Amino acid sequence: MTNDPGPDREQVQREVYRKVVTIRFAELRIREHVEKEGFGGFWHPGIGQEGLQVGAVSAMQDDDYLYYAHRGLGYAFAKGMPLEPLFGDLLGRANGSTRGKGGGTVHFADASRHVLGQGGTLGSNFVMGAGTAAASQLLRDGRVTVVFFGDGASGRGTWHEAALQASVWKLPVVWICENNGWALSARFTEQSPTEHVADRAPAYGMPGVVVDGQDAMAVHDATAEAIDRARRGEGPTLIEAKTLRIRGHYEGDRQPYRDDPVLGDEIPNDPVHRLGESIPDDVRRGIDAEARSQVEQAFGAALAAPRADRSVIFEDVWA
Amino acid sequence: MTTTSAAATGVAGGTERVIGYSRAINEALAEEMRRDERVWMMGQDIGRLGGVFGLTRGLLDEFGPLRVRDTAINETFIVGGAAGAALAGTIPVVELQFADFLFTAADEIFHKLAKWRYMHGGQFTMPVVVRLPSGVVGGAGAEHSQSLETIAMHVAGLKVAVPATPSDAKGLLKAAIRDPDPVLFFEHKGLYRVKGPVPESDEHVVPFGSARVARPGNDLTVVATGLMVDRAVAAAEQLAPHGIDVEVIDPRTLVPLDIDTIVASVERTHRLMVVHEASRTAGFGAEIATQVQERAFFALDAPVWRVCGTDTPLPQDPELEQACIPSTDEIVAAARALAAI
Ligand SMILES: Cc1ncc(C[n+]2csc(CCOP(=O)(O)OP(=O)(O)O)c2C)c(N)n1
Ligand SMILES: [Mg+2]
Repeated sequence: MTNDPGPDREQVQREVYRKVVTIRFAELRIREHVEKEGFGGFWHPGIGQEGLQVGAVSAMQDDDYLYYAHRGLGYAFAKGMPLEPLFGDLLGRANGSTRGKGGGTVHFADASRHVLGQGGTLGSNFVMGAGTAAASQLLRDGRVTVVFFGDGASGRGTWHEAALQASVWKLPVVWICENNGWALSARFTEQSPTEHVADRAPAYGMPGVVVDGQDAMAVHDATAEAIDRARRGEGPTLIEAKTLRIRGHYEGDRQPYRDDPVLGDEIPNDPVHRLGESIPDDVRRGIDAEARSQVEQAFGAALAAPRADRSVIFEDVWA
Repeated sequence: MTTTSAAATGVAGGTERVIGYSRAINEALAEEMRRDERVWMMGQDIGRLGGVFGLTRGLLDEFGPLRVRDTAINETFIVGGAAGAALAGTIPVVELQFADFLFTAADEIFHKLAKWRYMHGGQFTMPVVVRLPSGVVGGAGAEHSQSLETIAMHVAGLKVAVPATPSDAKGLLKAAIRDPDPVLFFEHKGLYRVKGPVPESDEHVVPFGSARVARPGNDLTVVATGLMVDRAVAAAEQLAPHGIDVEVIDPRTLVPLDIDTIVASVERTHRLMVVHEASRTAGFGAEIATQVQERAFFALDAPVWRVCGTDTPLPQDPELEQACIPSTDEIVAAARALAAI
């Protein structure tokens, strides 16, 4: 782990900024679409959490494996997936990565970039991620698996089964909990006996790290350290990134259950601003303009793409 | 034990050895692991012990602890981990100690294995085999004795094998390991000690979706699987002297199901009975009966009957337990009555 502000780090931070701001524009564009046009499914906005997602994934190598969570597009985009298939999946278009089976809450994937997808049942990625890491250990391919999950998903029993086995076998896997304080209407503080999810890590003989999720570079560094450790054969790490769920569980959720100040538009400790601070204004404006047009172009292309033919219903059941 | 002819096993010529069903499974595992380095196994007590039923004996010594891995008691990891390991280019063959534990790993089986490829637009294959010691074995109780193959059949995306002979156990398991799709492999615990001829070849692979005629006959078709195949054949031998010539068909795999062979048989015999150990209601017998009447209603001279396990949990007592699954006598009585209609 390095905190040296050398030229490499500046470059990493600039690239993290570019991706975070791109996803921010994507978030806003999708929200606009959901509000104006409606949506065949549930869009779980990740606005405000993009920094930790991009920061963490930016510490991965290209051939490391990713299991993302449902809160936004930051993870997959940071791993290199282009925007157009991501939007295509959301909008149920044939150009989506699932070739039209998506729509709303989706299972986008990109085998070539080792984005392995997502299960619709929370917590299923714990055991799958450990298994993927077991395959890497067997094949000695030097790859690390990174698994994202929410504070709510941390309650699943699959966590226990996966964490225990991964630690005993010293599997190359890194678990990243996005603790945004809420699991739909369930407040984290009411569902956890300890202050942090990471407090559970010592029971499994693995490091538990709490990091400020609004500080993308801090999450990057914590993830880089955990990945190094995993790659050295020293086993898994549990990272907990503290963040906030800015919007509802899904876009359109009126959140009657929520008695903390409903944030809506304001993003405290906005990762976009924190990352952008050290970038010269003109450079930043250039990056922003480029990101905005990239989003517009990709969203337009996805909207213009055809919906899938019904024949896809019968495709891909079997190899 | 079935007197399986060479023709019935699909082996033309070649030498055969008589080995046990357990040994056949063990050989299939060893041969496939030798053939393909990506094949590996995990499960509870499969390494040092060689499995609670002894199926994996000797494999740890030959293949080492990274390819024959003893896990904690964690069925969701065994199956879900296999799913994840398949996505990373390996071929996991995992064992649940009892088929009943597929409920313990239900999310992993029915969601991850069955649907991952589909949900993700066909970008991945899911070459996982889950070995499931199944059925009544004598006092194992309500949660260690069930026949759950129909449940596996109902959820799209899973292939389902139900071998009844050593030859099929070996050949189907080799086919399962080579299959890019997930396979639930229901081994019948009551057959583990049964011996039979198995072709002497590393390439004895029994294709999925091809039924076996366990006994040819002309008067009545009986479809049976697993432990029930031998009982149906024994029933047929008892009925033959009474002028009832029973054809016994073992589908060998339920997904895919070789309904063509069953329909062709019914078109000759005009009568069908399905025998299964699993509970009667909504068992695979109901599915086969429906498909046959859809395709061959006018070939039927009588209603399709089922002889099945009771619609109850299985009692732990071995004697009561046997009373819950079809006996040879019950099959004889039902076949006699059906033939008389
Ligand atoms: C096993 C399972 N239980 C419940 C759900 C329904 N569900 C989807 S998201 C969610 C809340 C998840 O909270 P958290 O893990 O904290 O993630 P967040 O939404 O806050 O990002 C629930 C209850 C599900 N998809 N899977
Ligand atoms: Mg949450």
